[in-house]
Amino acid sequence: MTPRLQVRGLRKWFYSQRSERRLQVFDEITLEVLPSEFLTIVGPSGCGKTTLLRVLDGLIPYEEGEILLDGHSVVKPGADKGFVFQDSSLLPWRTVMDNVILGLELQRIPRRDARQRALQHIELVGLKGFEDHYPYELSGGMQQRVNLARALVVDPAILLMDEPFASLDAQTREIMQAELLKLWAQDRKTVLFVTHQIEEAIFLADRVAVLTARPSRVREVVEIKLPRPRRLEMKRTPEFLDHADHIWRMIQEEVYRTMARTGHDRD
Amino acid sequence: MTATEVTAAGKRAAREEFAPEARPGRVRSQVLGALSLAAGLVAWQLAYDLFIQRSLFISSPTKIVATFWRLLKEGELYPHIWASGAEFAYGYVLSVVVGIPLGFFMATNRKINHYLDPWVAALYATPRIALAPLVVIWFGIGLFSKSLIVFLGAVFYIILNTYTGIRGVRENLIEVVKAFGGSRIQVFFKVMVPDAIPAIITGMRLAVGRGIIGVVVAEWFGATAGLGYMVYYYSQVFQPSEVLVGIGLLTAIGYVSFYLLERLQQWISPWYQIQIERELGGTHE
Ligand SMILES: Nc1ncnc2c1ncn2[C@@H]1O[C@H](COP(=O)(O)OP(=O)(O)OP(=O)(O)O)[C@@H](O)[C@H]1O
Ligand SMILES: [Mg+2]
Repeated sequence: MTPRLQVRGLRKWFYSQRSERRLQVFDEITLEVLPSEFLTIVGPSGCGKTTLLRVLDGLIPYEEGEILLDGHSVVKPGADKGFVFQDSSLLPWRTVMDNVILGLELQRIPRRDARQRALQHIELVGLKGFEDHYPYELSGGMQQRVNLARALVVDPAILLMDEPFASLDAQTREIMQAELLKLWAQDRKTVLFVTHQIEEAIFLADRVAVLTARPSRVREVVEIKLPRPRRLEMKRTPEFLDHADHIWRMIQEEVYRTMARTGHDRD
Repeated sequence: MTATEVTAAGKRAAREEFAPEARPGRVRSQVLGALSLAAGLVAWQLAYDLFIQRSLFISSPTKIVATFWRLLKEGELYPHIWASGAEFAYGYVLSVVVGIPLGFFMATNRKINHYLDPWVAALYATPRIALAPLVVIWFGIGLFSKSLIVFLGAVFYIILNTYTGIRGVRENLIEVVKAFGGSRIQVFFKVMVPDAIPAIITGMRLAVGRGIIGVVVAEWFGATAGLGYMVYYYSQVFQPSEVLVGIGLLTAIGYVSFYLLERLQQWISPWYQIQIERELGGTHE
């Protein structure tokens, strides 16, 4: 099967404006995401997970390597990618409807069609009746549903999700995980999902990519063979816990490595 | 027909259930405010009637109202209101038309900011009202110099608030529009403008008070009509009721402008009030 997204030898630096210094974020990222695959990415804090998604979306440039989406090089953001941001990324001056419609509006799709499609997706994420509410009138969980609908409505080839549930309380978070999987099962979009939480990464994924500390590489891609549909009880099966333990160890190692290195770098 | 009505009602119900407003509290605070004001006026009236009765220095609420009606019927007020209103309107509109673009370019263009910032900072710190006599010397006592004094009083609040508003536009929201393929122009109209508007209108509201001070002071340095002139003239001939009518009218102009701008803000940015309440209200829902 030809991959939906191919990332080969990606390297990136951030250049500071004031000094000569530059920060290498990616040493060498190589990664493939298959069509209809749910791939999650975990890694130590600050290793460049958000940066990776922004690069893949075409929001920021990279120095070396190649990014192919369905065989075409990614050069700029667009409707072929759907971005689900961390919290508070809804436009506060727009109602739920107008937030969901944003991507279609930017593409200049006629208002009528756009509304229709938006309405379908608002229903899909369970927010029917809240079209005219402003984001600040919604709970955190509801806001993230809108965030999701906004990305889905443009019917992207791939969904890029950056810790979308990070700010939710533990219960809401689990509910959202289950609902996301239910939604995903309907049309099996290709998903690249970044998270801090190992448990979340395993529960959602077909495969989990573990990143090293910065400058980061893909340290290992763990295949998760748990059957679907996933149920929350699976989080307590031995198989699940083995995965969790294995990934946790890798991330610990990476964290210790950074600590040791920053200890040396202080000069 | 009925179907749309039903959904509309349902939505309204859903909204009210979800975001219950603190209406009773708001009404109560308004009632208390009105009571406090009324008590103050009654106390003033009583004190005047009991202890003063006649004075060259102070008047009473009923006398002020009576004077107001008399001046209104005799037609004396209109030219004053008209003159001050025109000075204010010209100066204020000019400060909006000049202030918003200036603030915008200072916020978005580093070079422009380098050149203009020292001027704005210095002039902002200057007690600009003290320039009024100079302006009159240069440009005479006509409408132009008075509007200019209003302009000088008002424009800096608009520049600075526009500047802060544009600078405060949330970077992550800009990124959202970019991520969905938005162009630079779309980012401007769909994020920068709506996010900055509340701050800009707040600047316009602060500028109202400054503009009115400008009107009054400008008229003290030579005028033949205007509410500021009226206040000055009647204080020289010891007629406090007329003085207070003038001050009351100036207050009314300021209050009405301020209120209209508040309504404008609520109309353009209804979300802003919700955001503020949510942020102030904190966690309790
Ligand atoms: N615009 C930028 N300019 C300079 N450095 C940046 C920029 N964005 C991120 N960085 C740096 O790049 C590194 C990676 O940041 P990034 O936000 O991608 O990490 P992350 O893995 O998403 O972190 P977290 O786990 O906290 O979400 C960090 O050291 C960060 O300070
Ligand atoms: Mg991040």
